[in-house]
Amino acid sequence: MKLDARVPAGPIAEKWDRHKFQMKLVNPANKRKYNVIVVGTGLAGASAAASLGELGYNVQNFCIQDSPRRAHSIAAQGGINAAKNYQNDGDSIYRLFYDTVKGGDYRSREANVYRLAQLSVNIIDQCVAQGVPFAREYGGLLDNRSFGGAQVSRTFYARGQTGQQLLIGAYQSLMRQVHEKKVKLFARREMLDLVLVDGKARGIIVRNLTTGAIERYVADAVILATGGYGTAYYLSTNAVNSNVTAAWRAHKRGALFANPCYTQIHPTCIPVSGDHQSKLTLMSESLRNDGRVWVPKKKGDTRPPEQIPEDERDYYLERKYPSFGNLVPRDVASRNAKQMADDGRGVGETGLAVYLDFKDAIQRIGPETIKEKYGNLFQMYQKITDEDPYKVPMRIYPAIHYTMGGLWVDYNLMSNVPGLHVLGEANFSDHGANRLGASALMQGLADGYFVIPYTLGDYLASNALPKVTTDHDAFKEAADNAQKQINTLLAVKGKKTIRHIHRELGRILWDNVGMARTEASLNDALKKIPTLREEFWQNVSVPGTQDNLNQSLEYAGRVADYLEFAELLARDALERRESCGGHFREESQTPDGEALRDDEHFSYVAAWEFKGVGRAPELHKEPLEFDEVHPSQRSYK
Amino acid sequence: MLIGNAQTRQGDRRPPEGNVGTAVAPMLGAKVNSSLMATRTRIFSSSVGTKLLIGVTGVFLFIYLLIHIAGNLVVFLGPAAFNKYAFTLEGNPLLPIIELLLLSVFLVHIYKTVRMFLGNQSARPVAYAKKKSAGSPSRKTFASSTMIVSGLWLLVFLLIHVKAFHDGWGQQYEWPAGGRDLYRQEIETFSNPLMVVFYVISMVVVGSHLWHGISSAFQSLGADKPAWTRFILPAGKVIAVLIASAFIVIALWAHFVAGVRS
Amino acid sequence: MRLNLKIWRQTGPTAAGRLVDYPTDGISTDMSFLEMLDVVNEGLISKGEDAIAFDSDCREGICGMCSLVIDGVPHGPDRGTTVCQLHMRRFRDGETVTIEPWRAKAFPVVKDLVVDRSAFDRIIAAGGYTSINVGGAQDGNAILIPKDVSDAAMDSAACIGCGACVAACKNASAHLFMSAKISQLALLPQGQQERYRRVTAMIDQADGEGFGSCSNEGECEAVCPKEIPISNIARMTREYVKAQLGAGK
Ligand SMILES: Cc1cc2nc3c(=O)[nH]c(=O)nc-3n(C[C@H](O)[C@H](O)[C@H](O)COP(=O)(O)OP(=O)(O)OC[C@H]3O[C@@H](n4cnc5c(N)ncnc54)[C@H](O)[C@@H]3O)c2cc1C
Ligand code: HEM
Ligand code: HEM
Ligand code: SF4
Ligand code: F3S
Ligand code: FES
Repeated sequence: MKLDARVPAGPIAEKWDRHKFQMKLVNPANKRKYNVIVVGTGLAGASAAASLGELGYNVQNFCIQDSPRRAHSIAAQGGINAAKNYQNDGDSIYRLFYDTVKGGDYRSREANVYRLAQLSVNIIDQCVAQGVPFAREYGGLLDNRSFGGAQVSRTFYARGQTGQQLLIGAYQSLMRQVHEKKVKLFARREMLDLVLVDGKARGIIVRNLTTGAIERYVADAVILATGGYGTAYYLSTNAVNSNVTAAWRAHKRGALFANPCYTQIHPTCIPVSGDHQSKLTLMSESLRNDGRVWVPKKKGDTRPPEQIPEDERDYYLERKYPSFGNLVPRDVASRNAKQMADDGRGVGETGLAVYLDFKDAIQRIGPETIKEKYGNLFQMYQKITDEDPYKVPMRIYPAIHYTMGGLWVDYNLMSNVPGLHVLGEANFSDHGANRLGASALMQGLADGYFVIPYTLGDYLASNALPKVTTDHDAFKEAADNAQKQINTLLAVKGKKTIRHIHRELGRILWDNVGMARTEASLNDALKKIPTLREEFWQNVSVPGTQDNLNQSLEYAGRVADYLEFAELLARDALERRESCGGHFREESQTPDGEALRDDEHFSYVAAWEFKGVGRAPELHKEPLEFDEVHPSQRSYK
Repeated sequence: MLIGNAQTRQGDRRPPEGNVGTAVAPMLGAKVNSSLMATRTRIFSSSVGTKLLIGVTGVFLFIYLLIHIAGNLVVFLGPAAFNKYAFTLEGNPLLPIIELLLLSVFLVHIYKTVRMFLGNQSARPVAYAKKKSAGSPSRKTFASSTMIVSGLWLLVFLLIHVKAFHDGWGQQYEWPAGGRDLYRQEIETFSNPLMVVFYVISMVVVGSHLWHGISSAFQSLGADKPAWTRFILPAGKVIAVLIASAFIVIALWAHFVAGVRS
Repeated sequence: MRLNLKIWRQTGPTAAGRLVDYPTDGISTDMSFLEMLDVVNEGLISKGEDAIAFDSDCREGICGMCSLVIDGVPHGPDRGTTVCQLHMRRFRDGETVTIEPWRAKAFPVVKDLVVDRSAFDRIIAAGGYTSINVGGAQDGNAILIPKDVSDAAMDSAACIGCGACVAACKNASAHLFMSAKISQLALLPQGQQERYRRVTAMIDQADGEGFGSCSNEGECEAVCPKEIPISNIARMTREYVKAQLGAGK
């Protein structure tokens, strides 16, 4: 299989404009003759469904939650980037492009990233027009902040609820199209399979989560915007219903999965307090602007923090990275915290935490200013841990946060399966091996509002799409397949709970395919995962029936897919014998412990083809070429 | 000029059909024209319109009660003053109109509150096994939870009250200087201890109705400004207590003081 | 920590439901309320019994999915807190805790503690947006919005659509939810074009869904996890009056 990214020719700044002109258009009167399925109502899915509805297509839009407004995008706090240069501080489309490629550790496709930076400015305009209450300055202009270590202030935000406000904006546009009857909404539906007819994506099989019915939906094209797979690790900052199911089942139907090993770990989460924990809570990175990270110098020091004198504390980030100090990038901060814990110097009951101390900041700028800046974060921390961060240092620990990998797509956001388009976190496209803060929201909305409306039209206009109904054999086969899996799950009637097995899988991944990976740990994971999968199918307990709301059954299906997917994740990590971005192979580091890329051998996108459960997948490589931004070694010393 | 202006303004409000269609279509879909008409008649049956009507009638009744208590306090000035006051009032040619107005306000108030109560009941067909107030800043009180009970009690009270004071169960007294001897009527009425007890209870009920009702009416009418609201909430309660206690004092005074004297 | 849970079980929308006792042991005070229910469910599943169905997703207080009435109070005893953020240290050892679903005609029970809140989506669909197609927007800074206006709009926009206001209100009224959206868009310049049509359309929709009216009790504000005040309801009333008086026509 030859991977064709279909990147248009021409200078980078003109590619998208030229491409827009070269793409075919669907006649306005014909748009209503096309049906489009959009799976997902996050920023990517809702914006796509709304825009396509506005254009006149008939859209069917699906989500797992009871309302499209609850998609996981709602949880994003920090903000959204855009190259508006409103602050006159030297930002530009080119700079955002440059920062994103560099931040992604030179593992992304330049043309896609440039387009993303171009579209970023339109996103803000659209959202403002929708009534998204972005933060303002006293004069009435939009406010910006610098985020995630960027040297310009290009992040737009709406208090600590940016994702919520952007999603509600997209949701409202979506609901307007629902009212116009251009979009039909199917909430509480889970996609279980992709249906291909003559090699093209023509429909999906879903389970109606309230009635349990297996339903078939047909269309001229399918768009997946089903989010990331962070919950493979069991504990992550992702919402508990996040899953890889839709993407994975599309993968099993032939869509290539790209770079699954690129996972992002966020350094400032509230640490795990016990086995019962179901998810981890992220606290904004901005805390590191004023907090100082430290651990005791002595191993196994169990004294409470206030009894540890200053000279027995190790402010390890300040010590190791004098110029960036506590503000080193996410992956560096995370990995160092893990090193401290591995070294036996972690704090708290579990030893899996480091201190983030505000004592000096409180002394310097006073508790009032601290409260103004971080009041709600402090409150949240106190609610969860029952400790007062004004008095005792916070305990933080890294957690899985975002997944850069996803289904492989070309420049048009279409996978290798004709007609199957993938948007948002579910695709692999724009962030390379590491995503910059405030760029995921930008990507989801760019994909949905401004890319897919053009590229989908091109696909529809250039392909013959004969009429198909849900009686087609392909639909029957896929529906039977989905039904069979459900029957099997319910029939096991074993002893282990689904959560137990998921937690086990999470532990395997976190320990072996987490922040630091080695050949040995990855081989270990590849040995353990199939065993656990075996155990699942032999011994899982899925209570209840299939003909009504059965959350255990839903969960079991998702964990079943994770048990297959996890193997691919580990294999990709094993294959990539270099460190880059969120993927750190201990074998590949600079003398002072920095991630060391190997551009000569690994400057490619790893796109995997499914060959059967338990069978080795086939690797296809899309070579990456850098005409604009030349790869260099990062350094934060 | 003025009339012309008003007419154009009227005209502006109803743009030509086609205009409405295109302007409203994106919002309301195909049913635009009919639903726009329907909206006009729905003004007062909608949940917000209902509140407005209850609020307006509630305020009206509250004001009536303020006037009523003021008038009734004249009773402490003795029979001459009180009967003269009543006589002047009854001589007012506008009185029948005012009474009619008052009656219709009552009817609207009662109709709307009862209808709303029934509607609200059906909005929660299955009750909670356990339900309690979440506390501050909730305004929920015993009074607010029993508005329909206190209201219906007041309805019964009013029937008896008007019967007692308007025609005195057929027993009327003449006042030599002209008109009825309303003073005596009142003393006679309150000479009956059962009547006094009924009145005192009813006045507590009035107080309860107004405890929530006064501030509630402001909120129903959309009058809100943090600065006012902070004042209206306690003020409503104080006034409710004052009105109820004033009426109670009259009833007790009539029974224990004036009644014994006469 | 031991608890005596009384949990509403109902197998389907038309089935009759009842409170079932679940004596529970080994609860850690660090657990969130939903994690406590996860533990109860683990126990049930190990015994092959049907797990208690309840909604949740983000588990950090923003998606609005979680929806439990705990001892008669939606989202439980903590102010400004969703149940997913409520922690077990808030309860006493040996306490009896009653857990019920949101109750309203417009929120029919799907199963156990899960209800159908699509009525809220239909209220938004009736008019809770600005009719702006993608592509036509002017520059974001072309409209100046004073900071206090923008902040006030954000206060109202913070609503997570959880429905606790309906669950708490003795009338099962959706006024707080609606008024939050109406306020946000009435405050902002972007919302002006459809300001008056919006308020009428949304109120009509809510009434048609079977929500009750409002008696100004303010229970909704007290349970709202985003502490949205009922001054929004007053603003909605004013908007409605203006709309009926012909404003914007
Ligand atoms: C705590 C947190 C904070 C973050 N903060 C930021 C930030 O400040 N800035 C930033 O840029 N990014 C941030 N991110 C990342 C960002 O929020 C996400 O990457 C982005 O929102 C993903 O959007 P999406 O539309 O691709 O998918 P999602 O929002 O995850 O939506 C997925 C949709 O797909 C549906 N779905 C999933 N599977 C199925 C299925 N099988 N069948 C049917 N439907 C399905 C779901 O119901 C949902 O509607 C944050 C992430 C987290 C976890
Ligand atoms: C002198 C007599 C009365 C006065 C002064 C009075 C006053 C008021 C006021 C001020 C309100 C608040 C309005 C609002 O919240 O919008 C109110 C509400 C109410 N009244 Fe009356 N009222 C009187 C008689 C009655 C009667 C006879 C009934 C009988 C049914 C009644 C039933 C109600 C009810 C049920 C409410 C509650 C409305 C709600 O829940 O919001 N009232 N009243
Ligand atoms: C101690 C308490 C009260 C006393 C002494 C009192 C006294 C009177 C008197 C003297 C009249 C005049 C009768 C007439 O002119 O024919 C009257 C009428 C009336 N009162 Fe009261 N009143 C009391 C409480 C109330 C309350 C609480 C209400 C309302 C809830 C009320 C409502 C009315 C009404 C509606 C009328 C009839 C008015 C009319 O026919 O024009 N009264 N009352
Ligand atoms: S107003 Fe408050 S309680 Fe009601 S839906 Fe919104 S957030 Fe929930
Ligand atoms: S509790 Fe109900 S009565 Fe009104 S103020 Fe809130 S909607
Ligand atoms: S689960 Fe999202 S708000 Fe509670």
